Amino acid sequence: MRRNGPFAIGFMALFALFMLAPIIVVLGVSVTPTGYLEFPPSGLSLRWFRAILDNPDFIDAAINSLKLGVVSATLATLVAVPAAMAIDRRRFHGREALLAFFMSPLMVPTVVLGIAFLRFLTLIGFNGTFSGLAVCHAIIVTPFVLRLVLASLSGLDRAVEKAAVALGASDWTVFRRITMPSILSGIIGGWVLAFITSFDEVTVTIFIVNPSTTTLPVRLFSHIAQTTDPLVASVSAVAILFTVAVMLLVDRIYGLDRLLIGEGAK
Amino acid sequence: MAFLELNALTKRFGPVTAVDRISFNVEQGSFVSLLGPSGCGKTTTLQMIAGFENVTSGKITLNGRDLAGVPARHRGLGIVFQSYALFMHMTTAENVSFGLEMRGVPGAERKIRVARALDLVHLSHLSDRYPRTMSGGQRQRVALARALVIEPELLLLDEPLSNLDAKLREEMQLELRRIQREAGVTTLMVTHDQAEALALSDRVVVLEKGQVQQEAAPFDVYETPHTAFVSSFIGKSNTLPATLVSGDASGSIVECAGVRLQAGATPLAAGPVQIAIRPERIEVVDDGAVLTGKVSERVFLGNQWLLTVATPVGNLLVLRRNAGRSEADIGDTVGLAFRRVDLRILASSEAAA
Repeated sequence: MRRNGPFAIGFMALFALFMLAPIIVVLGVSVTPTGYLEFPPSGLSLRWFRAILDNPDFIDAAINSLKLGVVSATLATLVAVPAAMAIDRRRFHGREALLAFFMSPLMVPTVVLGIAFLRFLTLIGFNGTFSGLAVCHAIIVTPFVLRLVLASLSGLDRAVEKAAVALGASDWTVFRRITMPSILSGIIGGWVLAFITSFDEVTVTIFIVNPSTTTLPVRLFSHIAQTTDPLVASVSAVAILFTVAVMLLVDRIYGLDRLLIGEGAK
Repeated sequence: MAFLELNALTKRFGPVTAVDRISFNVEQGSFVSLLGPSGCGKTTTLQMIAGFENVTSGKITLNGRDLAGVPARHRGLGIVFQSYALFMHMTTAENVSFGLEMRGVPGAERKIRVARALDLVHLSHLSDRYPRTMSGGQRQRVALARALVIEPELLLLDEPLSNLDAKLREEMQLELRRIQREAGVTTLMVTHDQAEALALSDRVVVLEKGQVQQEAAPFDVYETPHTAFVSSFIGKSNTLPATLVSGDASGSIVECAGVRLQAGATPLAAGPVQIAIRPERIEVVDDGAVLTGKVSERVFLGNQWLLTVATPVGNLLVLRRNAGRSEADIGDTVGLAFRRVDLRILASSEAAA
């Protein structure tokens, strides 16, 4: 195997540092004993982590965000998988238009989407409700799932499905036993991407939340707008640790490589 | 009544006729190859038999049963795809077991039949492996076992050996034939590889442009090709335009580029024809040469020499067995001779039968 030269290693170290720097700063700030943002921290204190418990609205917002992420990512997946199957397999009129339509939330500026959702939800009396929020998030994250599922479908040998049919499988059995397991990494990857996108969506969400349905990023945003104490850092630190814990768990149960790269890695 | 009968089978894609009134029969237990260059309609024919492609017109009968309107999943055929099409998320045993599960075969019997199928293809030791950890040849065997375990009435093979490297392909040819004989299954193979078709089949059906050119045993296809296409597609052949001067059952005379040659018997009437001779049937001789020419190219193939000799009738390929001594070199003049029966007369392509 070819070894990396000192230049390549230096470059990669720089790149890793660039990626990790914000996280390191946030973690550093979160353990400060002082009442203001400070880096590097002058001491070690869990004061601002205790402060989270004194601010239950942050915990509520975090729970809201989690629920919203799960519901909208799942909704998006339920729509995107059949849509991807149709777009990949069928040759029908308006196929391109349908694909463009599903991808359009990526093209439209989110501010515009936010205003549009606000107007629409107000019109039908769903403004500020969790279900309204979930549907809007599902619309925003559907393109991500669709892209990944389409990609894994295009990599699937159609003869595999034919082989199953020839062996006597019905269409539904072929999907359940052959197609779905083959594109599972795409579906799960898409779901995770959708969840993450929903979890840290601010621009659209800020238009359509009310205090009872507010999400964690929006809550953090409004907190910063009012005060600048290290509470935002400790909340972020908890979010980071939570993410790392989930990743470790997924890796233990399923294997991150398998999830992110596909079946081949094991 | 033959086991599998194709009757004037036709497939049109818009204005293009991919398969044009193909008719042939496959006898029970035999191994038949559908041979032709890419785009000759052989794969479309296979797809129609398998039920993956609609039939424009014509009829497919399997064991007395008309397959029209029978969906692919109810045809009960064993199919081995060119890409093997294994279920990558299942082990070897699970792959093989799938067809039995679909048929509702109970677990205990399934186990026995899977084991027997894997034994047939010599893969029992790999039953718990995933396809991605196996070689091309092993995957091929899994695909075969999966197709055979359901005890299909008909086994369809779509270019089964084309993804293997040359050495493995030869090994698998023998294996394929053994497995087919042991399973006793009627087999139809689609291939563009004439050597493969000749080696494996009881009968060969040569296709070109969607039409059957010839249907015969491998030896007959090679020795007595009916058309210039078959002659040049199967094995190497020198094919030249000529005029038939006279001919009867004992032999004939042709004129090619002003040279009169004695040729084999022909039922054709005098007029424009094509003459064909295999490179290995031309001898390099000192005396009694029919034609003389200059060697213009020479290629060493290991067991053989391939010479190109420029003669008055045109360039002729000549194949010489390597007898351990050097052959005529480029620029040498050589005398060529052949038996008159080896110079075959074919209808000129416009008038192909």
